[in-house]
Amino acid sequence: MSGCGLFLRSAAAARSCRALVAFTASRRSLRTSPPSQAFAKELFLGKIEKKEVFPFPEVSQDELNEINQFVGPVEKFFTEEVDSQKIDREGKIPNETLEKLKSLGLFGMQVPEEYGGLGLSNTMYARLGEIISLDSSIAVTLAAHQAIGLKGIILAGSEEQKARYLPRLASGEHVAAFCLTEPASGSDAASIRTRATLSEDKKHYVLHGSKVWITNGGLASVFTVFAKTEVVDSNGSVKDKVTAFIVERDFGGVTSGKPEDKLGIRGSNTCEVHFENTRVPVGNVLGEVGGGFKVAMNILNSGRFSMGSAVAGMLKTLIEMTAEYACTRKQFNRNLSEFGLIQEKFALMAQKAYVMESMAYLTAGMLDQPGFPDCSIEAAAVKVFSSEAAWQCVSEALQILGGSGYMRDYPYERILRDSRILLIFEGTNEILRMYIALTGLQHAGRILTARVKQLKQGNVTTILETVGQRLRDSLGRTVDLGLTGKLGVVHPSMADSAHKLEQNVHYFSRTVESLLLRFGKTIVEEQLVLKRVANVLINLYGMTAVLSRASRSIRVGLQNHDHEVLLANIFCTEAYHQNLCTLSQLDKHSPENLDELIKKVSQQVLKKRAYVCAHPLDRPS
Amino acid sequence: MSWAQGILLARGLSRGWGGICSTALTGVPFSQGPPQAPRGLHCSTAAHNPDSSLVPRPPEPPRGPVKALAPHVELFRQAPDGVRDKASFVQAVQNFTQYNVHKRGHVDFIYLALRKMREYGVERDLAVYNLLLDIFPKEVFRPRNIFHSIFLHYPRQQECGIAVLEQMENHGVMPNKETEFLLIQIFGRKSHPMLKFVRMKLWFTRFKNIDPFPISRDLPQDPVDLASLALRHMEPDLSARVTVYQMPLSKDSRDATDPTEPHIIGIQSPDQQAALAHHDPARPIFVEGPFSLWLRDKCVYYHILRADLLPPEEREVEEIPEEWNLYYPMQLDLAYGRSSWDDYEFNINEVEEGPVFAICMAGAHDQATLAKWIQGLQETNPALDRIPVVFRLSGSSGELLASSSGLEEPPLTPPEGQEEEENNQQRQQQSQS
Repeated sequence: MSGCGLFLRSAAAARSCRALVAFTASRRSLRTSPPSQAFAKELFLGKIEKKEVFPFPEVSQDELNEINQFVGPVEKFFTEEVDSQKIDREGKIPNETLEKLKSLGLFGMQVPEEYGGLGLSNTMYARLGEIISLDSSIAVTLAAHQAIGLKGIILAGSEEQKARYLPRLASGEHVAAFCLTEPASGSDAASIRTRATLSEDKKHYVLHGSKVWITNGGLASVFTVFAKTEVVDSNGSVKDKVTAFIVERDFGGVTSGKPEDKLGIRGSNTCEVHFENTRVPVGNVLGEVGGGFKVAMNILNSGRFSMGSAVAGMLKTLIEMTAEYACTRKQFNRNLSEFGLIQEKFALMAQKAYVMESMAYLTAGMLDQPGFPDCSIEAAAVKVFSSEAAWQCVSEALQILGGSGYMRDYPYERILRDSRILLIFEGTNEILRMYIALTGLQHAGRILTARVKQLKQGNVTTILETVGQRLRDSLGRTVDLGLTGKLGVVHPSMADSAHKLEQNVHYFSRTVESLLLRFGKTIVEEQLVLKRVANVLINLYGMTAVLSRASRSIRVGLQNHDHEVLLANIFCTEAYHQNLCTLSQLDKHSPENLDELIKKVSQQVLKKRAYVCAHPLDRPS
Repeated sequence: MSWAQGILLARGLSRGWGGICSTALTGVPFSQGPPQAPRGLHCSTAAHNPDSSLVPRPPEPPRGPVKALAPHVELFRQAPDGVRDKASFVQAVQNFTQYNVHKRGHVDFIYLALRKMREYGVERDLAVYNLLLDIFPKEVFRPRNIFHSIFLHYPRQQECGIAVLEQMENHGVMPNKETEFLLIQIFGRKSHPMLKFVRMKLWFTRFKNIDPFPISRDLPQDPVDLASLALRHMEPDLSARVTVYQMPLSKDSRDATDPTEPHIIGIQSPDQQAALAHHDPARPIFVEGPFSLWLRDKCVYYHILRADLLPPEEREVEEIPEEWNLYYPMQLDLAYGRSSWDDYEFNINEVEEGPVFAICMAGAHDQATLAKWIQGLQETNPALDRIPVVFRLSGSSGELLASSSGLEEPPLTPPEGQEEEENNQQRQQQSQS
């Protein structure tokens, strides 16, 4: 098996030369081409940036062969040698398994080749993620190591730091961890208590503080730590700002607590990490002093898209396992698979897997384009959609399995437990929805500023124009954004779905405009509104992704593309109606909108901190 | 029949008026005792004098030949060992019914019994009320025809029945099915006691839980428990913690001449603690009190630790830090705000008050006791060491006394400012409502 690992390395080395050439080429095109507009942001303005999403990103035949060469041995290893049940029971990944993962090069998948990593593109990283997710403990350990743990060094590290740390991190000799969360600080950077003070000789920072829930905290020997430092402002005042540091365990004063007992991903190591009098050389500051906030944000935003492919990989195996059960288990002399209610669940799982796969690879392909496009909204949408779909599908799978889904002898309950964390980590879905909606609204708000101002000042032409538009909309006009037709990018077999997408996008932009007009910048406080905006956007992105992918499948003639068309049409129709409902809730005075009542109920419950109603058996006297 | 019902209802509504008229016209008071204020729907004297609303007081001696009362009073004196409890009350009532087979003078007896209920501690006992109603002879007072029900049929008896229900109402006793059954048997469906009963059934359930801050009927006797109950009652923040700074001395030593260790119990919420920690030590804070708080029929006194409102120019403007939320923007960079159509904020003129940092209840209201409270607070609020504390106790001689820790020249005693008084009143209202 180690030969295989060697092979991977050599393949990576071979790729590196090619990649270098490609990189210089792409750099040139970067200068000449106009800055690419992010797709999702433009959706808020009612535009579909066809260039970005059509056709569905492809990889060249060479690259594909290369990926398959990576994938084969890794898949073999995961299916044959990894015992997920044992890892879950014992709460630890065996050392042999870790060694094997290291020899496969999986600890440095996205580390550039010149530092000894595999230097995978985002697309290839997503592809490998599909397989690695077969064991979620390993997936989380690897993700904590490279998606966040060492990502800071790749993104913000100096050449020196990269040369010093990346080779050993890529080989797995050192494991990395990302230390941001504190007892008092989850997503609130202002309440970080860990403090780094410059020593007398100005050569060291002395680090004090503790971090909680650090994945790999017990294994890691290199930590990306965020701490408050005193920074002198441009106007001379001293302020506390967050700074990122690379901290080695050997610097001294680093202790980790005992591993936490968790609901799922029990094989991954999560613990507290304490820093006491840890002396960090000044050269280990990551990025600028006081620039830690940006570093943290970039790291967090960069890694999310891969969850889509990982969950899709997990769902595919789950579909296989449950289909096996449904086709063999007999009740009333019929297989379970003959019952409509069971069939429905398989359709759901297939559809969700298809959508999230499409979204994930579309995003990965966009990220791989030259010019480092900002795809953070898309990545967040992938994360939200895939994590929620995972929870829903696993739960439905358990329903198919009935009692055996609940038993610990079978792997299903472990999958359920493991998939629960997806909704929570890497930014909870609630927070990411805020991010999606607010980032998009900020973009739309800036561009619409002039228009909104004219409307507010009562400019007659603008008002008449708006009223006219609304009137035409309400009369049910057909929206044509050029997805279909003679030069259309969507295949005619999905023309209906494409029209639905166009219509949704159009009305979405209208709603965004009226929301901005109504709330302005105070929309930040309207979280229930923002949630709906984000939901619509996630659906729109999903629709685009499946339309793009299915169109490509038909055109290049992939196997079973008619099945893909089915799934795409199902999803688009469902999402279309969901969107219509959500958009109508966003109207003012909409009867479907129960926000005020919901707020009242929650206020009353929270005021009492208890369930308010009297017991149904209570009597008045 | 519906017109009869309508008339009945109309009569019921204008009962107070009708009562006066009939009294004035006939000249025969149908209720003994002093003439009562008219009781319409809108004026209820019951609220002020809950125990004797309809029950007439014992008549003055020269009033006339009312000999019937005397034996009834005897019935209540009969308790052999002088124990006044439910059993002896029931015994007295039973004695009346047995002794007086024809139920002569039963109205007077019921009025008497109603007056006596409190002495026997049965004023909240539904069974006893039903027992009293049971004294009425059945079927006799039921209206036989339409004219009976239009006019007040057996007015004195109906008044008496209403008096029973009225006393139930004043003590918050909800009538039950048995009461209803008795009333129907005695007065019939179309009678004033029944009307009263139906109204009670309707409104009792609605008014019973109208108080958003209910207090249990039986208050704890122990002053420490009572004080912590009162403090919890006043403090809106549920995470606030009650601390007993000093327990009262044990019972035998309390009998000693000077109770040097009265109880001190305080409450403080985490928010108040944080506010105190951020308080500018150059500004004094004040211990004020005692203010009264009523818990049912008990009055307790409390003190507050408060500061004056910061003048507007010194208030720090709370600014949103630039780098705050790692995940999403906390504010949008847009040039326009909420449109006026979507602005549902009412223009409420709010009186701003200085912050209250803690509340305490102590067995004594002198400065020495309250200084102990402040000492106790210092353990959890280290900032208090540096802040001068001024005692402004209304019960004291009027001189201002500065605590040992601070302030050489205390400011002149301000007469309790209007704002503060409002503050207190609000506080009390809050706690009482």
